[in-house]
Amino acid sequence: MITVSKIATKNQERFVKESILEVQNITKEVNSPEGVLTILKDVNLTINSGDVTSIVGPSGSGKTTLLAIMAGLDLPSRGRIMLMGHEITAMNEDKRAQVRSNDVGFVFQSFHLLPRLSALDNVMLPLEILGDKNAKKKSMEALNQIGLEKRVKHLPNQLSGGEKQRVAIARAMVKQPKILFADEPTGNLDKTSTEVISDLLFSINRSFQTTIVIVTHDLLLAKNCETMHELDEGSLKC
Amino acid sequence: MLNGFYYGLKKFWFDLTSGDLIILFFSIVLAVTAISSVSFLGDRLQSSIQQQASVVLAADMVFRSTSPLPEDYLTSATNQGLRVAKTISFLSMALANNDNLLASIKATTSAYPLRGTVVLKDFKGEVLSNEKGTPNSGYIWVEPKLVEALNLKQNDQLVIGNTSFVVEAILDDYPDRNVGFLAFSPTIITNIADLKSMGVIQTGSRVVYRQLFSGTENQVNLFFDSVSNLPEEVRVQRLDEVGDQLGRTLDRSTRFFNLAGLFTIVIAAISSMIAARRYAARHLLNTALMKVFGASKKFILSSQICQLLIMIVLATSVGLCCGYLIQSLLISLLDELIGSDLPPPSLQPVFIGFLTSVSLVFAATAPYLKLLGEAEPIRILRNDFAFHLKNNIGVYTLAILTLTAFLLVLLEDVNLVLSILGAMCVLVIVLSVLGYFVVWLLSLYSNVSGSGWRMGLRNISRRRNASILQIVVFGLSLTFLMALTETRTDLLESWKETLKEDTPNYFFFNIQDYETADINSFFKDRLEQPITFTPLIRGRLLGVTSSSGEPVKAQNMIEREANLTWFDALPENNLVVEGEWWLSDLAPPSVSVDKDIAASMNLSIGDRLSFTAGGMSFEATVSSFREVQWESFAPNFFFILSPGLGRDLPQSFITSLNVPPDSRVANEFIERFPTVTSVDLEAALSQIRSIVNSASLAVQAIFILSLFAGILTLVAAIFSSVDQRKKETAVIHTMGATRRTIFAAVAAEFLGLGILSGLTAVLAAMLFSGFLSTQIFELNYTPNPIIFISGFLVGVTSIAVAGMLAVRQAIYSPAILTLRNY
Repeated sequence: MITVSKIATKNQERFVKESILEVQNITKEVNSPEGVLTILKDVNLTINSGDVTSIVGPSGSGKTTLLAIMAGLDLPSRGRIMLMGHEITAMNEDKRAQVRSNDVGFVFQSFHLLPRLSALDNVMLPLEILGDKNAKKKSMEALNQIGLEKRVKHLPNQLSGGEKQRVAIARAMVKQPKILFADEPTGNLDKTSTEVISDLLFSINRSFQTTIVIVTHDLLLAKNCETMHELDEGSLKC
Repeated sequence: MLNGFYYGLKKFWFDLTSGDLIILFFSIVLAVTAISSVSFLGDRLQSSIQQQASVVLAADMVFRSTSPLPEDYLTSATNQGLRVAKTISFLSMALANNDNLLASIKATTSAYPLRGTVVLKDFKGEVLSNEKGTPNSGYIWVEPKLVEALNLKQNDQLVIGNTSFVVEAILDDYPDRNVGFLAFSPTIITNIADLKSMGVIQTGSRVVYRQLFSGTENQVNLFFDSVSNLPEEVRVQRLDEVGDQLGRTLDRSTRFFNLAGLFTIVIAAISSMIAARRYAARHLLNTALMKVFGASKKFILSSQICQLLIMIVLATSVGLCCGYLIQSLLISLLDELIGSDLPPPSLQPVFIGFLTSVSLVFAATAPYLKLLGEAEPIRILRNDFAFHLKNNIGVYTLAILTLTAFLLVLLEDVNLVLSILGAMCVLVIVLSVLGYFVVWLLSLYSNVSGSGWRMGLRNISRRRNASILQIVVFGLSLTFLMALTETRTDLLESWKETLKEDTPNYFFFNIQDYETADINSFFKDRLEQPITFTPLIRGRLLGVTSSSGEPVKAQNMIEREANLTWFDALPENNLVVEGEWWLSDLAPPSVSVDKDIAASMNLSIGDRLSFTAGGMSFEATVSSFREVQWESFAPNFFFILSPGLGRDLPQSFITSLNVPPDSRVANEFIERFPTVTSVDLEAALSQIRSIVNSASLAVQAIFILSLFAGILTLVAAIFSSVDQRKKETAVIHTMGATRRTIFAAVAAEFLGLGILSGLTAVLAAMLFSGFLSTQIFELNYTPNPIIFISGFLVGVTSIAVAGMLAVRQAIYSPAILTLRNY
């Protein structure tokens, strides 16, 4: 099992549970050839700081759309999102990007590693956007922590699926975000790799009290989370 | 923003070497090389041509008149800081050693010549050092022809009018050589102070008075503007009107340079756009991901602008260096012609180089930068990395307008730029429609044998939009290249035709009717050349009667000696552009007029001109206007009379011949027919040949650059789809297709695309070349099948081979490696 207990702990002292993300009356509609399509219907949700929350549901239920809206990657048609005290639904794209740049991390189902960058360069990317002068050192440390110190110069096509997702997690965690959004993080992995990635995510949560929101089909992973929400046809099941 | 610049700076080398920027980089390098070499060359050649032209005038500006010019002009020019000189030229008999010869006397002031030098030799052939342009009073300098004819020796006495002069030196060379009636007699230079004592200029004498001015361009312009009420008989000669053949050659080569430059820029713009599209496609994931991680629009744009700025500086510097090297190479090849004292180039080409790259990069990348700047981070979650450019019409319009404005500023030829860009738009539409139609046809009939070939042909119709885009890009590049090759060939052929080896280099005047048979047999025996005698009637235009009541402007022509001729059939090198040529001897008294003279006199068909010749006055109706090929070196005339009118007028004959320069034929002729005047044009012809050869060489060099730009566009278009093809190839391979099948499919696809674009390009290039030759270069156009057939074959082969090479790596690399990237 890979743990990350040795990583620096800027959030360790925050044990008191307080809400970090509030989803208030979110509705998302899109235009389609068949007319207006409602993806999310009046969704309300609160996620506490330091929790690991899962959102499950069948394909097309709106899980990924909800994740995108919660993370400020997309805007709802109606409703409000409060992320770390910021009303991100009232912000323009650049302001939302600024919020993400400091305190939000992402892990994707398709990894989205840049194919022509090495593992190290991929991990350095978020720090380079912040202009961090220690980007290389911090990225090396992050890769060491997840046991990929021998893969730093490898290109993504030279890594296995599990290794790619570990690099992606290192990339998400290298700037020590307060909240990590993971979109089907084990969706493309085999059973062994799934277990490794799941353990890694929970270890991160334990070590840094990083709030983690996981959208997943994997019920085993979902049930291990502190809170589980189920979406069906755009609505949260109570 | 600074973070963005820093990030762009850090990633520049990686993006350049990983292939994202390299095609854009080379497109810019080629465009800048083409434009800067033309610009450097033009900059330096223009100085050289101006130097040559000023030597032809012996000044920067000349006032010429047949009546004395007021001294006020000279005083005023001197006061304005200009250098001035004066010459007075006329014909007079020169007597020496009991012999005489009609000589052209040129009386000069000591400041003559203001440009160029007078080269003197002593009677032993040694060059004399000479600071002045006039001999001391009482002395003269004479041309070698006079020395030979009058058997002159150093310090012999030679009498002109009432004065006896000492022959001081032989006149080896001098600027502003005589033209017109003075050109047929050997020249003597005298001091202007001796003119009065000669007593040869009487009322009614034919004299040419010149005042010469020299200074900076600004000084000359200011002085010219300050001279008001210049009498009508004063002709102002300036640098830009020197030399018809020289002017036309340079004008056409400049037009070709401009055309090649324009094509290169347009082709480079196309390859830049394709390269920018590829750059954007490959950066879309990157950009969306960076936005997810919190990069702002400013960060994204500033990092990309930083990379583009570095690329502009690098590519422009490389392009300028290449342009300078090419220009230096051409200048060294032209060294003999233009001399080694050329001024260094100005900084203008550097400015033009940067303007070229900035305009190209802006035009090519603006739409994609906008797209990247606006890339939504949500694309990452949707795995959506497709382009949607339809909302960017405004940016595209701005980019195209930028390119058009830049070309207009650069080439200063509105007609050329707008007609080529207009034709290009039509071509794009035709190619698109044709491409759409053929792709649709292929979708119906792709059931040919061989699964690889079938797959390839089906791919063309399946990837409809991409295929049409490639047909348009391949077609445009091939059209441009074929049209440019065709135009270049036509241009070089026309120059070769004009100055072929047997171009006449001798003119013979004053041939009397009874001498024609002897002269004919003289040349027939020695040169085996057929001789044509053209009648020459010395006359004067007396007046013009307008048929329409429109005022005519004939003052400059009236009372001047006019050389007339008559022909029953339209002579070679002449083309009737308005009116009709007479059909028979019985035509009413008519005259055909050179179209430029007609335009300057504001003549219309039906106007009546009255002439006097040999003591007879007569009238002729203007029946046609002709375009005359003056550079043909055959006898050409402003006025041609109808045969019924001209045949009975007093006349002598003129002929032109090609006499081998080293032969004794010319000397023998002069001895045998002493009354016939001969004019040797070999030196002038050699100079023009040399200029034409240089222009041809420069045209070839620029053509090769355009060729490279065209090839680069083809490569860019092929590479634009390589990523997509790699992925598809890997998928097909994993599904069980053999490499051979995949290879056959790719070959069929590129061969199909090559044939489709090649065929449309041949048709388009024929129309385009016809338009360029007839409308831009004023040449006759006949399609050259060899160029089109070889253009088609080379084009199709290049596209097929380059296409296969580009995806070869994907075909032969393990499919798993390719698929792992996606």
